[in-house]
Amino acid sequence: MSFILEARNLKKSFDGVVALSDASFTLNQGEICGLVGANGSGKTTFARIISGLIKPDAGQLYLYGSQINLKSHLEAEKLAISMVHQNLSLVPEMTVWENINLGREIITPLGILKKEEALIRAEAAIQELKVNISLYDKVSQLAPSDQQLLEIVKALSRNPKILILDEPTASLGFKQVEILFEKLIQLKKDQVSVIFISHRIWEITRICDRLVAFRNGKTVGEVDFQQQPREERIIIPLITGKKENEDEKGIHEKRPYRNFDTRQVILEVDSLSKRDKLHNISFKIREGEVIGLGGLNGQGQEEILFILSGYLRKTSGKIKINNQEIIIKNPSQAIERGIFLVPGDRQKEGLFLNHNVFTNLVYPQVAQKKQKFILPLKELRQTVNTTIQKISLVPPDPRKLVSHLSGGNQQKVVIGKWLSLSPRILLLNDPTKGVDIETRKNLYKIIADLSNQGVSVLLYASDNEELIANCDRVLIVFEGQIVEEICGDRICEENLIASSLRVQ
Amino acid sequence: MKNRLNWKNIYQNPSFPSFLILIAIIILNASLQHNFFTYRTFKSNLLTFTPLILTSIAQGLVILVGCVDLSLGATVSLITVLMASLMGDSLLSIFIVVLLGSGLAILMSFVNGFLISYFGPPPLLTTYATSVLWFGIALFFMPTPGGYIPKSFSKMYRSDLFPNFPVVLLFLIGAFFILFFISRTRFYKHIYAVGGNEDAAYANGVNVFLTKIKVFLLSGVFIALASICVVAQTATGDARCGLSFSLNSVAASIIGGLSFSGGKGSIIGPIMGGLILGLLINVLYFANITSFYQEFMKGIIIIFSLAIGAIPKYLKTRSL
Repeated sequence: MSFILEARNLKKSFDGVVALSDASFTLNQGEICGLVGANGSGKTTFARIISGLIKPDAGQLYLYGSQINLKSHLEAEKLAISMVHQNLSLVPEMTVWENINLGREIITPLGILKKEEALIRAEAAIQELKVNISLYDKVSQLAPSDQQLLEIVKALSRNPKILILDEPTASLGFKQVEILFEKLIQLKKDQVSVIFISHRIWEITRICDRLVAFRNGKTVGEVDFQQQPREERIIIPLITGKKENEDEKGIHEKRPYRNFDTRQVILEVDSLSKRDKLHNISFKIREGEVIGLGGLNGQGQEEILFILSGYLRKTSGKIKINNQEIIIKNPSQAIERGIFLVPGDRQKEGLFLNHNVFTNLVYPQVAQKKQKFILPLKELRQTVNTTIQKISLVPPDPRKLVSHLSGGNQQKVVIGKWLSLSPRILLLNDPTKGVDIETRKNLYKIIADLSNQGVSVLLYASDNEELIANCDRVLIVFEGQIVEEICGDRICEENLIASSLRVQ
Repeated sequence: MKNRLNWKNIYQNPSFPSFLILIAIIILNASLQHNFFTYRTFKSNLLTFTPLILTSIAQGLVILVGCVDLSLGATVSLITVLMASLMGDSLLSIFIVVLLGSGLAILMSFVNGFLISYFGPPPLLTTYATSVLWFGIALFFMPTPGGYIPKSFSKMYRSDLFPNFPVVLLFLIGAFFILFFISRTRFYKHIYAVGGNEDAAYANGVNVFLTKIKVFLLSGVFIALASICVVAQTATGDARCGLSFSLNSVAASIIGGLSFSGGKGSIIGPIMGGLILGLLINVLYFANITSFYQEFMKGIIIIFSLAIGAIPKYLKTRSL
């Protein structure tokens, strides 16, 4: 059988930083092939080369048996290659229908846009995936998961023969993932070939026929599920490069049950409401407790975190810290009280990408009111060095630019910058979105350490396994209300899904 | 498939505040100037405002695609210098020189567009550099205002085509027609795409390079129209006459609700912004504010208008 797409020894580097050193890949017609690897292993770079967005430095690309040299994205599109981008390729200020039609509008000979046909095409495309959005909404008004779906819809509407999905599920809820998988299976029947990039191993084992693993820009292995079992333990060593037995424990192990009833209540939220979004949210967090916010995506979990960290204002309700009612009007007031938010989009909200590790780590300290006019650089350097040790940053170099760090290490910096301010409550907004396994483990360890030091953690995760691995209690949020509390041993996949969907 | 055109969409429209300001300033002007609603005033206002409105459209288009053109004023100046140096009395000479001037305006705008999209320096600096260049060339040819513009030409510009229909209105109607046509094309969508998110536009197969070049060419058309108006109005060539347009047109665009980062707002915005700035000077004049304070008041009011323009954004973040 000949391959529909074959890449041989692709190389690519950006400003001297090697992204791909030796990537080879094959794709058969009508198969779903998974592509896995840690952050920075070159998956996205590879996908961007296939879809013509960047040119490789070396290597060959064969399509339908003949060698091609993609000069532009347009050319790839003509060859029926379509890509779902991780950093979405939507124009935020344009409407849904405009985005779906962008770049291939139908026009009259005079150059006038045929709006009716564009609308029909957009409507048909949306129906394909059963997405519930209005064609006239601006993309910037859509929820992240709807934006992601729209991105998928757009790629599908180009009737691709080869579809590349770059972490399409990172911001989707599991219901939406189901719909996507159904669609992918249908595409497979129509002889469309799919490259599926994901960090969620269980998605790969479920949907893919085969998988290819990248590590440090190299192809390191391949698993054919027709011959090999669909099991995590075969895949994870490929990604991490470590032997199997080291991973025996698995990373999603349930943490042992701990009782917090005797501990002091740190944070108390009493009938917190936000117009149209949250209704009568009440909960308590005790010292050192790790509380999860679960449920379907976009049910108001993020709003709770944003209100507590001062990015949003509440409409009514009380927030108490150590039994004292407090008012949080802006992030700096939240920080003063020891409430810190680790944002979901670390590159946008958490980091100064063009600055070095040192500056990133000292900003929160420097931004505080109680600071000398002339900064005590020596002291700051010392604190930064201890922080770097605490978060085990690789490489432990404070002068390194954050943009040159791998995604996982960037994530460490985002959390690390708060550590020197001795946090009391840490809010985590989906911190492992698009983060590889190795880094996840590190993050889980940091969370556990903090909790042991008496820091309370409120964790929102779109991934149930993450809640299971970290939380002492999980609050299920549904349409802006807390509908259920699951604690201790009852925290398991089945219970979480059942309560999220409100199945009794 | 239902069209959602509700009240919220209207007041959150980025051009909505400028619409309110426009109405307010018209009312203010009419109450200060008793003959505001006469044909005479209408015509004299049109003659004064048209260059600013046209340059605002030119600037607005460039801002929509995510760039800015600070050389626009210097271009206008250079064109007036060119036209005043070359124009003769015959109708043919007028016609040829006007065409030549327009062509040069479009070419100069193209140079900006090409430099920006091919070499990729910040538009602000690129057009600042070209503006110094154009200004230098204009000064070289005409160090002091002068040149010759035939009386017949400026008379024609100030005359009425029909009773109660000034010639200058043709410029605006022409501009509206071009905009109306453009706004229904694929190209117009591409302007918003490139301005809104250049990488996304590219990933969707939009030719970013060509879109920017086309926008600058189109902008050049409006600069050319504005230059013709200025030269006919002042009947001289002046290397400094256009300089104020550069930043006034930027202010008009932002007051009109465009976002400086591009891709946001409607091209109607700069038109309203231009009108607001024009009427503003009227109001200050009729309110008997001495010319010493006029600039001061103008500054205050522009800041005020910009602040009001930020309201939709504020409302949006509050209702997040």
